[in-house]
Amino acid sequence: MSDLFAFNGSPSAGYAQPAPLLSADEVSKVIPNSLKRAALPAWPCASEPELVRHYTWLSTRSFGIDTGFYPLGSCTMKHNPRLNERIVLMPGMNDIHPLAPEHHIQGLMAIFYEMQEMLAHCAGMDAVTLQPVAGAQGEFAAMRCIQEYHKQNGEANRNKVIVPDSAHGTNPASATMCGYSIIEIPSGDDGCLDLDALRAVVGKDTAAMMITNPNTLGIFEPEISEAAKIVHNAGGQMYYDGANFNAILGKTSPGLMGFDAVHYNLHKTFSQPHGGGGPGSGPIGVKSHLADFLPAPMVEAIEDDDDGEGAVRFAWFNPSKTIGKVQQWHGNSAAVVRSWAFYRRYGRELEKMSEHAVLNANYLRYRIMNPSSEQAANIHAMPVDGAPAKVVKHEFTLSMSPIKEATGVTGKDIAKRLLDYGYMAPTLYFPMIVPECLMFEPTETESKEAIDAFADDFLAILAEDAEIVTSAPHETPVGRVDEVWAARNLILRHPGNKEK
Amino acid sequence: MVDHLPNLGREQEMLEAMGLSSIDDLFCDIPEGVRRNEPLDLPDPQTEEEILREAQFLLGINVPLNSRPSFLGAGLYSNFVPTMVAMLATRGEFLTAYTPYQPEVSQGMLQALWEFQTMVSELVGLPVSNVSMYDGSTAAAEALTCAIRVHGKKATQPKTVYVSELVPPHRLSVMENYTQGAGIKINKISHDKNGYLDMEAAAKAAGSCAVYVEMPNVMGILDEGLAGLKKVIGQDTALIVGVQPTCLGIIEAPGNWGADIVVGEGQPFGIGPTAGGPIYGLFACSDAYLRQMPGRIVGKTRDSSGKPAFCLTLSTREQHIRRQLATSNICSNETLIALMGAMHMAMLGPQGLADLAVRNAAACESVKRALAPIAGISFVHDASHYNEFAIRIPGTAADCLTHLDEEWDLTGGFDLGEWFDGMDDCLLVCATDQIDGEDIDELASGLASWCKEVGA
Repeated sequence: MSDLFAFNGSPSAGYAQPAPLLSADEVSKVIPNSLKRAALPAWPCASEPELVRHYTWLSTRSFGIDTGFYPLGSCTMKHNPRLNERIVLMPGMNDIHPLAPEHHIQGLMAIFYEMQEMLAHCAGMDAVTLQPVAGAQGEFAAMRCIQEYHKQNGEANRNKVIVPDSAHGTNPASATMCGYSIIEIPSGDDGCLDLDALRAVVGKDTAAMMITNPNTLGIFEPEISEAAKIVHNAGGQMYYDGANFNAILGKTSPGLMGFDAVHYNLHKTFSQPHGGGGPGSGPIGVKSHLADFLPAPMVEAIEDDDDGEGAVRFAWFNPSKTIGKVQQWHGNSAAVVRSWAFYRRYGRELEKMSEHAVLNANYLRYRIMNPSSEQAANIHAMPVDGAPAKVVKHEFTLSMSPIKEATGVTGKDIAKRLLDYGYMAPTLYFPMIVPECLMFEPTETESKEAIDAFADDFLAILAEDAEIVTSAPHETPVGRVDEVWAARNLILRHPGNKEK
Repeated sequence: MVDHLPNLGREQEMLEAMGLSSIDDLFCDIPEGVRRNEPLDLPDPQTEEEILREAQFLLGINVPLNSRPSFLGAGLYSNFVPTMVAMLATRGEFLTAYTPYQPEVSQGMLQALWEFQTMVSELVGLPVSNVSMYDGSTAAAEALTCAIRVHGKKATQPKTVYVSELVPPHRLSVMENYTQGAGIKINKISHDKNGYLDMEAAAKAAGSCAVYVEMPNVMGILDEGLAGLKKVIGQDTALIVGVQPTCLGIIEAPGNWGADIVVGEGQPFGIGPTAGGPIYGLFACSDAYLRQMPGRIVGKTRDSSGKPAFCLTLSTREQHIRRQLATSNICSNETLIALMGAMHMAMLGPQGLADLAVRNAAACESVKRALAPIAGISFVHDASHYNEFAIRIPGTAADCLTHLDEEWDLTGGFDLGEWFDGMDDCLLVCATDQIDGEDIDELASGLASWCKEVGA
């Protein structure tokens, strides 16, 4: 165990920096006495070699896509090209101030403009802002736009947002932050939208419906157009949660399905690395009737006729009825630049990305659900589909209820046992409408061999002694972690470096 | 050519294994009426080399702060970040992981974040920190809604918060967006002519849910009065302090002078200004706010054999469990940048932090001294400053900045007229540790030439 706070170098040494322009004594004279810090924080006293080893050790106890297969459903854990990291470390990105004059950042603004246009085109939307910095913030920003749109139309009384019970938790949380109350509608037996349930709840108080398609079961909603009609006829707006956009890019679009607003997860579809929990980036696109409300500023291209060469310069502009800002600056600019570098790799062939994401998901599902006779003979119980479907899109769900009934092994046990085999576990117990749910999303960047190996290992686990599985993991740096103990005892920080 | 798809050219083999014949079969469930029939109208695919070349061109025409003397701060600061930080943070196990939902294989990331929580806690003088918000503005906004949840029921001014009138408009706009849904009223607290908070005005906030002030404030002012603010507003009103975190190397931790919640732009620890993102927001609080705070929190625990271990905790506050009843909608946050911040803080150590704060304060004071003798320039506030300060100049700030840019190749600061009424002739001048004596001479000469040109 490497303890950051146990390093015990001389506290007076510290990290060597150039001399200050004035001495510490002289600086002290201009700092108000009553505000002067009495004791420095008990931070570690470590040298660079010690820290490099500490963080390298920590990295060996972490797991990324680079480590192994990461089929975490709804999170789209695809390969992160290192070119993109190289690009954002350039001073023209890393050392740029968002308040710099426009003529200092024309290259960055060119990329912003191209991304606004590309994202709008791919989703069938009319306008895109890049400001929201996460999917959830995109949801929030778009719902704020919808809220102001209704107000403008004298319909501020529209105060309900409809979400299916299979929706991501951020949907109801984001709408609630806008002040909306939530109506949750149950899915049908097929895991899809129940139009009768929808008809029963729409009305004069409907502000919007929020839905992802394909839904969180990985199934394309067959009646999405009809659902949009029902909501629109009631005067509501249709919001597309873009978490699952990786499934359909180039094949259809939220615009074609009848949506008015959408967020994109650049950290899912466009390979911004997930970084252990962020950063993300959640631009939003809208149809023209919502465009004036988008967060400010956005980038426009202005043709400079002066030189007769049709040169273009880029400028910030504020939409006329903008909701203002949801992040203080211009959003996660470096995530936008990484995603630009990613999309350029595919260009007009972006459709292939979705084709392979869907190919791999269906192939994995097929491999798991069709064991060889030898494999089948040993299995305690096969999982069942979260919802019946001939084909799925980029992800799928399996219920572990049969094996739980047969041997007592739960979905969580299987997830933990997969860690022993060197895999990240699938998404666990979501969507909540599937009992003992595991949700798999292999993404387009896994090879057939990797998927075959995973399927074989998964099937092997279904055949293992229950005791081995319920006590898993066995091969990881620590055994099963006691999350209940953590919540009861709440040790939320180190005591600090008391040697200081 | 598309070169990130390992199964390219093997589609048929995989399809046949499944009993399908074409890729189209995989999309047969998309109804005819919503299918896209035309190909995407996008450029040809490019190779890694081609994209790099284009990125080098596009980002190369930008003007980085450190490519010339730059005095632009206004909330984001160009501090030097140790080389180790980016080198280690981009290790694939950190960079390409997602939220550590499976703690058994995520102990390293969890421990690093727990250490981050510890260093932030020590820095600001409060017991609890989360693992980051999106930025300083969303941290401030969610601090207000958090305070409403804690104090809303007992407050004599329920659903009411007070913020310093010097909060920059972009940050205020974020606060307004985040609070309007809960019907929260934001009142302003005025400042006197030297930029100090008006304590009589602040007293009116007693009985409301929260007061939000900044140290230093947007004008770089170190306001002594804030140390007594908690007494003025009382125990039942949250004192929320927004900080520029590097100043806490010389300024007392706000938790030690009454702050209940400390937020701020973590950016100077860990990463350059990055055109505004990804950066990260700090959020730390006292125990009373813990169960109402937003964001991810790491706790220390034990594994099945009693060995020490780490995991995410208090998840029942969060959207993936609580849905519409969650304390916040935040899911993806800025973990990797917080990790970079942790690495930077660990590298500095206590003395390195103090040295960094002295360098920033010294640079700021040196610029003040260099500009003081210039005829035509006056300081807007007679106060102590950290990092930046406001000056009044002849002519307009916009024209002055253009002059400095075009004639002197320097980025002279920020035009305060963009943010505040009546300040069209005011510049916010920022000096960080990256400013040296020559830069200061250049700025002084440039501003002197401007004053001469407009005949002041």
